[in-house]
Amino acid sequence: MRNVIFIPMALVMMLVTGANAADGVTKGPNGEKPEPARSLTLTADEEASIKAGNYTAALVWHEMSEYTNAVNSGAQDEFKRLGITVVAQTDAGFDAARQKADVETVLAKKPSIILSLPVDPATAASVYDPARAAGVKLAFIDNSPAGYAHDKDYVTIVSDDLFQMGNRAGIAMADALGKKGKLGYIFHDADFYVTNQRDQAFKRTIEQDYPDMKIVAEQGMADTARSEEIAQALVTQHPDLDGIYVTWAEPALSVLAALRAAGNTHTRIVTLDLNEPAALDMVKGGNVAALVADEAYMIGVTAARAAAGSLAGKKTGPFLVVDSIAVTKDTVKEGWKASLNKDVPATIADAIK
Amino acid sequence: MTGPVLELSGIRKTFGGVTAIEDFSLEIFPGEIVALVGDNGAGKSTLIKIVSGVHPPSAGSIALDGQPVVMSNATMARMLGIEVVYQDLALADQQAVYMNLFLGREPLTALGLLDRRRMIAETEKLVKELDVRIPSAHAAIRDLSGGQRQGVAIARATHWASKLILLDEPTAALGVAETARVEEIVRSLKKRNIGVLIISHSLDQVFRLSDRICVLRRGKQIGVRDTKATDKNEIIAMITGLKQG
Amino acid sequence: MSNADLAAPSLLSRINLQRYVVYIGFLAIFLFFAIVLRDSGFLTVRNLSNIVLQTAPVTIMAIGLVFVMSAGEIDLSIGSIVAVSALAAAVTIGQYGMVAGIIAGLGAGFVIGLINGFLVAYVKLPSFLVTLATLGLFAGVSRSMTDLRSIPVTDSLFTGIFGSGSLFGIPSLIWWTVIAIAIAHIVFRETRFGAHVLATGDNARAAAVCGISVPRIRLAVLTLSGVIAGLAGLLYAGRLQAAKYTLGETDLMTVIAAVIVGGTLLNGGKGSIVGALVGSLMMGMLNNGLILMGLSVSDQMIVRGFIILAAVAVSLREKNR
Repeated sequence: MRNVIFIPMALVMMLVTGANAADGVTKGPNGEKPEPARSLTLTADEEASIKAGNYTAALVWHEMSEYTNAVNSGAQDEFKRLGITVVAQTDAGFDAARQKADVETVLAKKPSIILSLPVDPATAASVYDPARAAGVKLAFIDNSPAGYAHDKDYVTIVSDDLFQMGNRAGIAMADALGKKGKLGYIFHDADFYVTNQRDQAFKRTIEQDYPDMKIVAEQGMADTARSEEIAQALVTQHPDLDGIYVTWAEPALSVLAALRAAGNTHTRIVTLDLNEPAALDMVKGGNVAALVADEAYMIGVTAARAAAGSLAGKKTGPFLVVDSIAVTKDTVKEGWKASLNKDVPATIADAIK
Repeated sequence: MTGPVLELSGIRKTFGGVTAIEDFSLEIFPGEIVALVGDNGAGKSTLIKIVSGVHPPSAGSIALDGQPVVMSNATMARMLGIEVVYQDLALADQQAVYMNLFLGREPLTALGLLDRRRMIAETEKLVKELDVRIPSAHAAIRDLSGGQRQGVAIARATHWASKLILLDEPTAALGVAETARVEEIVRSLKKRNIGVLIISHSLDQVFRLSDRICVLRRGKQIGVRDTKATDKNEIIAMITGLKQG
Repeated sequence: MSNADLAAPSLLSRINLQRYVVYIGFLAIFLFFAIVLRDSGFLTVRNLSNIVLQTAPVTIMAIGLVFVMSAGEIDLSIGSIVAVSALAAAVTIGQYGMVAGIIAGLGAGFVIGLINGFLVAYVKLPSFLVTLATLGLFAGVSRSMTDLRSIPVTDSLFTGIFGSGSLFGIPSLIWWTVIAIAIAHIVFRETRFGAHVLATGDNARAAAVCGISVPRIRLAVLTLSGVIAGLAGLLYAGRLQAAKYTLGETDLMTVIAAVIVGGTLLNGGKGSIVGALVGSLMMGMLNNGLILMGLSVSDQMIVRGFIILAAVAVSLREKNR
């Protein structure tokens, strides 16, 4: 579950930046203005010069998850396309000390590029300093080491568009309910940059754009282990809800279970991130109406492209964001491909047939 | 003729309301092997524990070399020169023979480090004297046979005992040949001028080894016999209660 | 009886193998990487010294665990002691300076170790359960200490001594490793304490009968392990120039594997400090080499798992027959 995984880092990010989502646009960890990832392209000359350079790259991940996997394969594919050999990849298991060791280790292969997601941005400078000193081109996912300057120390940060994700969830909910109805809102009740931005963007979208839709029940969720009880309580107290937004897919499964237990086929669920059981319910015409996912694969492609471009002298903006997509029953195949660059799991493919 | 090395007089031991030993008196002289026999539950183990300082007696007195002593724990008994060879031998299996011999009482060099050279030398000397046939002082206990282990346990007691060695069923787990070896070692202790109190279930062994036999029955001391002046039938009669002391 | 004659040859051959398994394994892995990765920077001085530097905290933790495991106990809490100590040191350094920070870091380890030791030695709870509980408990404490925040360490003398500095051209982490291993080796092999630790783990009853205070030994090894894990925490804080609650969390299994591969018995009575060092370096070398081979992360984990399994199997087989 990406959100859960992101929690520690997100908190640090929030503390560092004091980021606030309510202003309607996703901002970078250092307040950068976002640019769409798709705007980054390389010219034929640049590509030719990169291919001629015999460059190498190392991928220094914070942790391996389905999300990282998608980012990783995006990066691998783009590097391959540009004739860059990936010489090493590592997994720090969320341990900053191990990530430091990983950076030192991959430097033995003298890579031209390191793509990385810093475990702990506040202290990441000591992790990446040896690479920076060795003149390696650094491109980051989601955040950058504190004290590092764009362009001088690193190429770019690529991330997903958190505000857009929440916004898309709001739109998907409106589409599912015909733009009117009573909503339940289960948000992540903790100071976490990633989830807070997304949750607030959903709420804002409903409040501003859909006057006939009302959030009548709000429920914070601080501890995912208690999502089952929270869902149960919400469903019991408000059996007449038309839709429920859940902060991410895992607790959404608890809501789904509660609805099923109550025999409720009316209330629709919209949540964030692709998740096989939730998607299965969706394609079978269950309660789940839409899953909003970011284009994780594209994050990898973009970071790889930006880093490779810098080897050919191309300048990239400080903060690139990828799109997110609302995956519904009809678009589940395409959505899976766009987000994770994978075919839908067999169970779902079978259910669609 | 010197006096007894150990003198127990009027020893009584009760646990709660239950009397385990009543009015037990015994003298053991240097160089003498005394056997303690009796059925299970006769109180042999309790008596060993009293002599080795584990249980203080409820009444009665203990004297070593004529000096009355009060032992509040096993460490004190060891300091006074009483060593026990337990049924389970109490050896550390992975450690070398010499480490076991000096366990808890390792000699140190001037630097405060283990004096291995001395431990090894003394072990080899002792093992030779007692004719305990082990491959080397460096061998780990678990690589030794049952008889060799028993030999090491006795050697350890011998090294530290200045007055008395208590042997609890020293050959219970051994085969015939190994039993013979261990009995030889026990017999050789006589030369060292210390007292030996041995518990054994095997009357044959008792008659082979001991100078005197003390019979316990249900906590009562039935009697003490010179081994040469008695026979198995009498001892069995005493153990089973057919004959009173 | 020919026991002596029979025992001698088998004893000899086994002792040799048993003692050298970890060294042979280390050498084999080293040679493998040296050949396969000859063009990939594995053999550079820089890379090799990186391996030693990276494994320093694990090596230090392994020292404590050798004492604990030799005494027949286990200490799982080292995984969270590292973080608590590093955070305690980082916070204290910020407020009261380096010396107070070192005392706070080591003190935190000491206190946690003492708690473990008391519960094991005097309340007579199994160390596995006690330290499993304190592992979780202090993981929680480390999280709440600073609300999950990382605490930077800016004291350059501290980061020099404990992490990034060097003396006579040799990095401080190598000094720490060498000095800690040397002292621990002597204490373990050549002092009464070491002998009593082994005896306690080997046969606690025998040790007690011979006048060794078994509870005191158990208290001592667990306290020692706490302090040593605290030192590992300081080294991490120095090396990263920051402390975070995640420090050390992923090291626990590596430390246990290093100690076992290094010839220490899981159930006590036998241990090796130098073996643990070599075991720890072997783990570090494996991580390093597998990354440099360009394997995917999942493949690295699988291969590493197999090699550790093989190493542990061989070393345990040799010891337990």
